[in-house]
Amino acid sequence: MKIRLTSVMVDNQTKALAFYTTVLGFVKKTEMPIGEHKWLTVVAKDEQDGVELLLEPIGFAPAQTYQKALFEAGIPLASFSVDDLDTEYNRLTGLGVSFSMSPTQMGAVKLAVLDDTCGNHIQLMQVL
Amino acid sequence: MTFYAETVRQLRQDHYPNAQLTKQIIQAKRFIDANFGEGIDLKKMAGAAFYSKFHFIRCFKSLYGRTPNQYLTSVRILNAKQLLLTDDSVTSVCYKVGFDSVTTFAGLFKRMTGTTPTEYRRRKKQFSRHETGNLFGDLPLNLLNTDT
Repeated sequence: MKIRLTSVMVDNQTKALAFYTTVLGFVKKTEMPIGEHKWLTVVAKDEQDGVELLLEPIGFAPAQTYQKALFEAGIPLASFSVDDLDTEYNRLTGLGVSFSMSPTQMGAVKLAVLDDTCGNHIQLMQVL
Repeated sequence: MTFYAETVRQLRQDHYPNAQLTKQIIQAKRFIDANFGEGIDLKKMAGAAFYSKFHFIRCFKSLYGRTPNQYLTSVRILNAKQLLLTDDSVTSVCYKVGFDSVTTFAGLFKRMTGTTPTEYRRRKKQFSRHETGNLFGDLPLNLLNTDT
C-alpha cells in the first residue's frame, strides 16, 4: 500500500487551480471531466512523479460545515514543505496572499499559515 | 490571533527546549546535511552540537522525531536517489553518499524506497521517457490533460 494522493476540499475548482498553480507554484498533472466536476490534481514542480494533490469539489454539506469550522479556528487542512519559509512568505505576501500566522519557529521547524482563497488554511513548513 | 496560532504559541512555550539548546541541535543537523558523504559517526555529530553522545541522541530525537543515525541514513538515501539519475555506477553512488558497503547501501535503499538502486534508476529513466506515473497507471499525461 502506498500514499500516492491526498486532497484539499475547494469551493471552486477553476479558482483553486489558478491559485495552486499560478500563486503557489504547483503544476497541473491530471484533469478529467467527471459529471459537473473534474478529477483535478496538481504536483510539485520539481517532484512531478511525487504525491498528487486532488483539488476536490466540496459538494457534501457536512464537509462544508467541517471546512468552515476548521477555517474559523485557523487550523490548516494541509501542510506543504518549503526549503526557505521566509523567502516563500515574502514572495507570497508580495502576490497578495493573506497569512493568518506569519513565520514562527517551533522547535526545529518554522511554520506559517496562509489562506488559499478556496475555503482553507494551508500550512507551510520548513525543517531547520 | 486564530485558535491555531494561539495553540502553536502555547506549545512553543510549554513543550520545546530553550533557544540555545535548539540552536545547537539544528547546528548538528546542518553538520549532517553538509557532511553526510564523509565518514561521520555519532561522536562527530554530537561534537557539532557540543554534547555527549547520549544527551545528543535524546535531544535530537525530541526535536526531529528520529535518532541522528536514522536522520543520517535518510539524508544519504535521499541524495543517492538524486545521484542515481546521473550516469554514476551504483557502487560510486554508494561511496559518494557515505556508505562503505554496497550491500548495506542496497539493503537500506530497498528498505526505505521499496526497490533496489538499480530498479529505482530503471523506473526513473522509464518515467522521464514516457511521462507516466499518474493514478491512471501508464496513460501518458498528454492524454489526461484536457487542454493539451
